[in-house]
This record gives sequence, C-alpha cells and structure tokens, in this order.
Amino acid sequence: MDLLDQILPLVQKPARYTGGEWNIVRKDWDKVDIKVAFAFPDVYEVGMSHLGLQILYHIVNSRTDALMERVFAPWLDMEEKMREHNLPLFTLESFRPVRDFDVVAFTLQYEMCYSNVLNMLDLAGIPIKSNLRGEEHPLVIAGGPCAFNPEPLADFIDLFVIGEGEEAIGDFLDFLRNAKNRNLAKKDLLREAARVPGVYVPSLYRVEYREDGEISKVEPVLKGVPEIVKKRVVRDMDKVSFPTRPVVPSTEIVHDRIMIEVLRGCARGCRFCQAGMIYRPVREKKPATVLRQAAGLVRQTGYDEISLTSLSTSDYTPVRSVINALIKEHAGCGVSISLPSLRVDNFSMELAKEVQKVRRSSITLAPEAGTQRLRDVINKGVTEEDLMSATEVAFREGWQAVKLYFMIGLPTETNEDLDGIIHLAREALARGRKAGARRGRLRVTVSVSSFVPKPHTPFQWEPQASMAVLKERQAYLAAGLRERGLVFNYHDTAVSFMEAVFARGDRRLGAVLENAFQLGCKFDGWSENFHYERWLEAFRQAGLEPGWYAYRRYDYDSLLPWDHIGTGLSKQYLIREHQRAMAGKTTEDCRTGACTGCGLCSGLEVEPVYAGGERDVQLPDAIQ
Amino acid sequence: MTSSYRMQYSKKGPARYISHLDLLRSFERAGRRAGLPLSFTQGFNPHPKISFAAPLGVGTAGEAEYADIELNADLPAAEVFRALSGVLPEGLRLIEIRSIPEQSPSLMAAVDCATYRAVAKLDRPLDRKELDSAISSFMARPEIWVEPKLKAKENKKRNIRPGIFALSAESENDIIILEAELKTGSNGNVRFEQVLEALVETGGLPLKSGFVLSRTGVFTKNGQEKKTLW
Repeated sequence: MDLLDQILPLVQKPARYTGGEWNIVRKDWDKVDIKVAFAFPDVYEVGMSHLGLQILYHIVNSRTDALMERVFAPWLDMEEKMREHNLPLFTLESFRPVRDFDVVAFTLQYEMCYSNVLNMLDLAGIPIKSNLRGEEHPLVIAGGPCAFNPEPLADFIDLFVIGEGEEAIGDFLDFLRNAKNRNLAKKDLLREAARVPGVYVPSLYRVEYREDGEISKVEPVLKGVPEIVKKRVVRDMDKVSFPTRPVVPSTEIVHDRIMIEVLRGCARGCRFCQAGMIYRPVREKKPATVLRQAAGLVRQTGYDEISLTSLSTSDYTPVRSVINALIKEHAGCGVSISLPSLRVDNFSMELAKEVQKVRRSSITLAPEAGTQRLRDVINKGVTEEDLMSATEVAFREGWQAVKLYFMIGLPTETNEDLDGIIHLAREALARGRKAGARRGRLRVTVSVSSFVPKPHTPFQWEPQASMAVLKERQAYLAAGLRERGLVFNYHDTAVSFMEAVFARGDRRLGAVLENAFQLGCKFDGWSENFHYERWLEAFRQAGLEPGWYAYRRYDYDSLLPWDHIGTGLSKQYLIREHQRAMAGKTTEDCRTGACTGCGLCSGLEVEPVYAGGERDVQLPDAIQ
Repeated sequence: MTSSYRMQYSKKGPARYISHLDLLRSFERAGRRAGLPLSFTQGFNPHPKISFAAPLGVGTAGEAEYADIELNADLPAAEVFRALSGVLPEGLRLIEIRSIPEQSPSLMAAVDCATYRAVAKLDRPLDRKELDSAISSFMARPEIWVEPKLKAKENKKRNIRPGIFALSAESENDIIILEAELKTGSNGNVRFEQVLEALVETGGLPLKSGFVLSRTGVFTKNGQEKKTLW
C-alpha cells in the first residue's frame, strides 16, 4: 500500500482504487484452491453498477475452495502513474497482482471495451495473446453478452463461457480444481475444458475462409470438442444464488442502489435487440423471493432505493402486487422503489406513478422508430397513441421533462421515418404545453442512436447504414428539431461503425485489436478517448477493410462468424423474423400469441416461467 | 420525537479517500444497516440530518472527527454506538457517541482550529539544527501569500500566515514528521497542503516523497484555550 499511498493523492477519484467497501470479502489466500480475479474492462463506477459482478462475486466467495477479487480498468491518469512506478494491475481485496491469480475472468458487456481487455492484460504483465502465455500465467477467460460472438477476441482469451454465468461457474470451478489437483498442463486443461457445457475454447477450432473473404468452414480440431457450444441457462430463478450481501461502494457509482432482478429474458421480440434474443426464455422470480431478497438487501446494504431490474419490468406478471408490498414494507424508512426500464403504455405509466415517492424531473420512453410502419418492421409493439398518452400522463403528473429514445439507420428506413421522429417530438412538446407543464421547465429530449446489427438477432444479416448516411440523417433531424424546449442528442457515427465491425467480426480482427492496443486505443466507449484515426490505422496495418464487416449484407446461407455459438434460437426462426420484418409484419409475444417457434424451449429444454400464473398459450410438443 | 447525538470518529485507511459528500452517504447507509430511525429533512429531496464539523480533504486521514446525527427516537447513546459501530465501512471507526441537547449550536459554527500531521520520506537524514532553522525561518515570514486552489477569481491571493498558529518538525532517519495547528472553519480556513507547499518552497526540504496527511484534532477556541467539540 505504500507506493499506492503516494500515487493516490495524484489521481482523480482515488476511491476507485482503494477497496475497503462494505461487504467486501477477503479470504485467506493460502487456504483456497482457486483464485479468480473478476476483471471489468471499464472504470470502477461502471463496473460496480453491473449486477453480474455481484452475482458471481457472491457465488464464488460462497465456496470454501475458491475466492474472487475485483479489478477494474484504471482511468488514464492512474494507468500513467502505475506504468511510471511499475505497479502492476492489482485487485481491490488483497492488492495482489492480477497475474498471481489462477484465473482472470473478464466480462464483455460492450464491444468498445475490447481495447481495455488487452490493455488490462498488459498492465497486469500478462502477454495479451494466449499463445504467448505459459504455464505461469493465469487462465484468461471471458463471458457476458459479447461472448455470443467471441471471435474478435479469439486470439486473446483462453476460453469463453457462453450464457448465464451463475449456471456455468460451479461446473467450471469444479473442473478447474480437479485439473489443478491433477497438475494438468494448460494445453491439456483447455482440451478437457472444452467438454464442460457452455465452454468455448477458440484455439480448438479451425476457421477457413473463401477467396472472397467469407468463412467457408469452422470446425473443431479435436474429437470431443463440440461443433456448437450451447449457452448455459438458469432454469429456476428462485433457486439460483443471488447476492444477499453485495459490495456497497463508498463512492458514488452509476447505479447506486439495490438491484433485484425480477425476471430474466424478454418475450417481446424486438428484432434489433440482442438481449431479447440471447436471454430467452422469460423466467420470472416468485414474488416471495423478490420480497425476501429486498428485505435482506435493505438491511445488508443500507441503500435508500430498490430497483426492480430486467429488460422490461412492466412485463413482470406480478409487478403491481410486488411494488405495493415493497412500498408498504420499506417506504417508512425512506427507501424508494424504481423501475429502470418501462414500456410506453398506460400500464407502465400507472406503475411509474405508483413508485415515484420523490418526483423525478425526467422520464424516459423508447419508441425507437418514428412511424408505425418502421415500428412494425422492428416489431416494437407500440403505437403513436400509446406514446402520446404516456407523454401526456407524464406531464400531467408533474414530470417536466420527457426523454425519447430513437434509432436511426434501421433497415428500410426512409425520410418519412425521420419526419416521424420530428413529428413525435413536436407532438410530445405540444402535449406537454396542453397538460400545463411550466414553459421554462418543459423539455423534450430526443436521443438518437445508430442501428448496429447484432449477432443472433433477426437483423444480423442486415448492413449498417454508412457513416455518411447516418451523419446526413442526424443533420436532417437536427434541422427539424430546432425549437425551444426540444433537445437533440445523437451518437458518434464512427463509434457505432466500430461497434458494428466488432459485433459482426471474425477472428481476423484479432490483428486489428492488437494493432489498436499498440496505437494506444483504450476506453473507446468514452467519446473523449475514442480516436477513429487510430482504429483506421490499425485496420490498414492489418490489411483489413472495416466496411467489409459493417456494411455487408450476409446471405441466409452464409456461414456467420458466430454460427458455432448456440443460443438455442433456430436459424429458421431468425430468417422468418427477418422476412416478416421486411414485409412489415409484426410477431406477437409468445406469452399472448401463438408460439413463435424460436426453438429455444425445445432446443435447450427450458420453459418460460411466469410467476403471475399460467401461460395463456400452451407450447406445442415439438417445435420446428 | 427526535434526539440528537454527537459522535467522534476516525477516518483512516481506505476511508481517507471518501469524499465529503460520499461520507454523508456512508453514514446514512450505515445508519440504515444499523436499523437506526434516521431523521430526514422535509422537502423535494429528503436527506438525513447528519452534519459535520469541517470537511476533510480527500486523502487526508482524520483521527478525531466530529459529526452530529439526529434520530426519530430517544435511544441511549451506548445503544446507538453499538448499532453503528458494527456497520461502518473499513477505515471509519466510531470513538464515542454522546447525546446532546436538541438546540445545540452547530458543529460547523463551533470549529476554530485543527491540528494536523504530515509524514514524508527524505532523501537524506536531517539534524535538529537544520530542522529548527527551516521551521523558524518559515514562521518568521510576516506574510505568506497563496493562490486559491480553484482559479475562480483573479487576484484572490490569500495571506495564510495569520492562520498558521503553530508549526513544528521532528525527523527520524529518513522520515520527517511535521505538526501544525491551523485556522479552520467557516470564518477562515487554511489548508495544510498550502502550508506544506509554501514551507517546501522556503525551506528547501530534501523530500523524497509526497506527504501523507492526517488531521489529528478539531477544536473550538476560548481565547487562547483550545477545547474539544464535546
């Protein structure tokens, strides 16, 4: 700590690097077989807001044979000091160097964190490429949503865990302890690891390319290595381990509150949404479980807010009774309830009214597209009237600001859809005035991101709109949204472009990542640190064309770089959804409509679980 | 019914880096973990009624800091102490809690001065004479002008010399330990970092590292007499 004490006064937000938070777990290093460093490739405030970290920290540290400590990407100023003083990357529990651990486990939440993964390995004194690491180096593993297309990181990660970590980690640690007892060499360990369900060892797969650059073949190089690695899925959200004593930071973080996941998955089927596809099926927690966890967490953390998290919390079938029970039990001691993701419908607005104890200044609604036609294309089951009545209710109930989220560059988008965005924003403003919101305070913020085609979605075959087109459309919107009370925000098109390249990329991008790291790319998700010209240079050095990845339309029969990673969704379903999208046809939620045939329930032998009662529609026995 | 308590606590180790605003949150959360009936302000954004004597700079340890806390019940101070002691994050430690009358003057208004200690590594050992002359020539300066930390307004240079009540130094091998008593509080505040900076400029101490700082006490003054905030 001595060197650290000298460095810390010189950096911004030193509390990022001190540890010592409430509920931190420190174990006797010598009495534990497996030591895991959980590495989050972004700053402390972002990483500590990630529920997955808390879940895995809890599960691993509950075992007597393993420990997990945390490490985050040091901000630029800290990295500079660490390199200057040869202080290697260390964990916050024991301040031990990350390279002393058995396993370094990265979570991949976002493509733009890949450069940080490489930089953190380097800061740890671990060779960034897996083939340059020896027996003395930790096993470098990765999971999270981006692991559903692991290929761009195939050169750097020894093995990926596909799917839900809390389901896989037990098996994986058991395997590792056994392998360690047998003193297995890393090469043999990886071969055996590939047999653990959900484990993907990229070095055990050979990828062949055609002359035009397309992938012609992906195959295991050894017997016993699965051709398709299927994701792991939690079957019972009531029985799976949930952190009862999460680490409570002493410094403010992005989501500084109790997070209780009330359901996992989403049955809505928005065609651009990767989370909605890879976290299927819907599995709800029983109200009793939620209430029990909430009571424990209030007592164990001292937080003043409980957030009921999921991809779409108003879809949680018993949501109303759970909210009422939580308010009744906890509002007295100043604890409020929040719902981070609400849909644009009346039911959501009722919920919003119920939970807001303290009036918040702003409410966020996500219509995603400006016209009904395009909302049908993306299968966002929201009408203009839904949106307008939600806006009106919000203003009438005292909110003074409404944020509207849209995407541009969606497949089939035309100027009419952009006009639709402008129309909705102006209409929302007008409704606000009508509802009597105070003129000076009244604000409608339009946030526009650019569509990024993501693997395992019905839009995975679609090209991204070019940067030039996206910029043009942003300018068009900017011109149309000039009015007192309207605020227009949009994303950097170059970042969205790189995101698409790496989302849809293959193994050859490993060379680009390595170059980018050498050129100093890091924290690319932070616009002030994103240097587009460095990335272009990294591509030039590798002899690759980024546009080839982002702007190409794949054929249905193309072999996609992520086809050997199994989500349980059938390709037929994705094709059918893509075709329906192009025809402007919506598909109902499988809870209320007929089974959509995504293939997941039969493929993974998991059924949706609804805590609020039976499904409306029975599943057919066999799904094509 | 509400009741007020004054606590003395220390803020060391990782807790040194908890900022003033985060410290308020840390006590609030600890209070809730302890199951204490915290009292909140009314209004748009309720916050717990916890107040501090004088903010401590991020990174400076506090050995005997004070805070007042209000509860919605009349609990024995010993019980509050027990409940809160077990739920504070690492480095925050309760030393004592006492009940105080409800309309007690605020801590903030009471503070007049604080004592500090700074420790640094030296390039070479210093003898007593060298140390004494460094300190005495510094203290002999009639005026010590410093720039404001934030370049808010121009020509806002301040003379901190009147706020430096005492300064002494000890040295052992390659370690130097400085102690100071400085004006602190809402009607004038001298930051120890500024004093040390000025001292290093004047005295040319052969420092090898930066200073590790702690505030050793916070006091109210009755004429020349220093008193604790109890």
